[in-house]
Amino acid sequence: MFGTQSTRDISFEFQSQIPNWRPSIYTRRANITVKFQDLYGFTVEGNVDDVNVLNEVREKVRQQGRVWWALEANKGANWYLQPQISSISEGIALKSSLKLSALTNTITLKRLIRKGIPPVLRPKVWFSLSGAAKKRSTVPESYYNDLTKAVEGKVTAATRQIDHDLPRTFPGHPWLDTPEGHATLRRVLVGYSFRDSDVGYCQGLNYVAALLLLVMKTEEDAFWMLAVLLENVLVSDCYTNNLSGCHVEQRVFKDLLAKKCPRIAAHLEALEFDVSLVATEWFLCLFSKSLPSETALRVWDVLFNEGAKVLFHVALAIFKQDRRPSKL
Amino acid sequence: MLPDSSSSQPEFDYLFKLLLIGDSGVGKSTLLLSFTSNTFEDLSPTIGVDFKVKHVNIGGKKLKLAIWDTAGQERFRTLTSSYYRGAQGVIMVYDVTRRETFTNLSDIWAKEIDLYSTNQDCIKMLVGNKVDKESERVVTKKEGIDFAREYGCLFLECSAKTRVNVEQCFEELVLKILETPSLLAEGSSGVRKNIFKQKPPESDAATSGCC
Repeated sequence: MFGTQSTRDISFEFQSQIPNWRPSIYTRRANITVKFQDLYGFTVEGNVDDVNVLNEVREKVRQQGRVWWALEANKGANWYLQPQISSISEGIALKSSLKLSALTNTITLKRLIRKGIPPVLRPKVWFSLSGAAKKRSTVPESYYNDLTKAVEGKVTAATRQIDHDLPRTFPGHPWLDTPEGHATLRRVLVGYSFRDSDVGYCQGLNYVAALLLLVMKTEEDAFWMLAVLLENVLVSDCYTNNLSGCHVEQRVFKDLLAKKCPRIAAHLEALEFDVSLVATEWFLCLFSKSLPSETALRVWDVLFNEGAKVLFHVALAIFKQDRRPSKL
Repeated sequence: MLPDSSSSQPEFDYLFKLLLIGDSGVGKSTLLLSFTSNTFEDLSPTIGVDFKVKHVNIGGKKLKLAIWDTAGQERFRTLTSSYYRGAQGVIMVYDVTRRETFTNLSDIWAKEIDLYSTNQDCIKMLVGNKVDKESERVVTKKEGIDFAREYGCLFLECSAKTRVNVEQCFEELVLKILETPSLLAEGSSGVRKNIFKQKPPESDAATSGCC
C-alpha cells in the first residue's frame, strides 16, 4: 500500500499513494455517505467505499504501531534514541545522543518517517526529531510555567486576537471547542506571543497550535513544538508583522511550479490564476486546514525530519494530483 | 435568483468583481456564505484570500458575481492589497457590537481602498453586521448613515445569521454598478469571461472560463 520504491522526490512518493485510491473513487457506490470521527477527533464524511479504504489504511497504520511497540518492549524504552557506537560516528564529536543516532540512521529514519510515524509514537518522535527537546533543555525546567504565570491577565493586541479566534479554531471539535480546550490553546498561543514579540500572534498559528496540542497531548510539549517550528523548522519571518517570509515562499513556489509543472503553470497563467490564492493558506496553516488530520500529520512527520522544503513538495504534489489526463 | 450551474458554460450578461473587507471577525466570510448558499455557520478565520461565485438575476440582467473574501488581521493586508485591483464594488463590513471595527473603517479600510483600488468609479458599500445581537449593539444606525454620507457609500445593516438584508446588500451594490456606465463596460460579457482576469483579454474568445 505504501510506496516501497525509493524515489528521489517526495512529491512523487506522496503521489504514488494516490493511484491506489483512484479505483475506489471511480467505481464507488454513489450517494452512500458515512460520517465518523478520526483519531484526532475530527469528523470525517465520505463515500462509504472511500471510508472503507481509509479504514484499511488505518488498520495498516495500527499494525505498524504495534511493530514499533514490540520493538520498544524488546529493546527498552527510547531504544531509537540511544547512540549506536559505530565506526562512522566514533570520530565525530556529537553533542547529543539524538544527533548521533540520527546520523547513523539517517537514511533508514528518513525512509521510515516518510512511511508515517505511528500515531502513538508521534509525540515522542516529533519532540526529539524537531529539536524541541533540545530547545527545552537549554532553559530552566520551569520556563513554560513561569512564562504562562508571568503573562496571565496581560492584554495585548495579540491576546485580543487570540481570544477572538479560540472559538473559531476547528469549531465543533470534541475537545478543542470546550472551555478546557480553549483555555489550553490560549495559554500556548499567548505564551508564545510573549516569547517572540515580532511574531506575537498571527492567524493560522491557532490551527497549527491546536493540531500540535491534539498530537502532543501536553500543552508544554505543544508549546515547544510551536517554538521550534517557528524558530528553526520553517522559513523565517513567515508570521511576522508584514508576513515577508510568507511572500517569499509564495514567489518561490510560483517559480517552482513553473519549473516542475510547466503545463499546469502555463494553464494557470492563461487564466491569470495566482497560485498564492490557494497556497497561502497551505503554507501558513501547514495544511492543517486543507488536508484531513492524518494526512496533514503525515506531512508534519516529514516536515519535522526534513525541514520546510517538504511544504513545497506537498504543494506541488497537490497540483499534480489534480491534473486530469484528458485536460492537461 | 438562479442557482450556480457549475458544469455547463455559464451564461451571463455581466461579470462583476466584488470585494469584502473589514476587521477580523466582523463576519465577512459568514455574510458571503449566507448570500451564496443561504446557510449560516460559525466560520473559521480566513487565511489570505478566498472567493465564491454566484449567478443572479438583478435589474433584468443575468449576472455572474465573483466575490472575494479577505483576511481581516492587520498583517494580512500585505497579502490582500493586490485583490482590490479591478473590483467594481467593495463592501466594508463592521460589527455593530464592536466599536473598534467601525472606527477602523475610517482609520484603515477606507484608506486601503483609496490606495489600492484601480477603479475610480468603484462603488463602495458600508455594511453593519450582526444586528441580531441588538442588545449588544454599540454602533448606532445613525453613525453608520453619517459615515456612509461622508465617504459617499451605500449603507445597510444586516445579519448574516438571520439573513436579514443579506441579499439586499449585494443587490443594492450591484444595482448601483449597473447604473454606472464605466463599470458596466468593464463587466460586459463581451470583454470579461474570466473571474481571475484583471484586464480584458485580447483575443482568447474560446477560453473555457474558470475552474
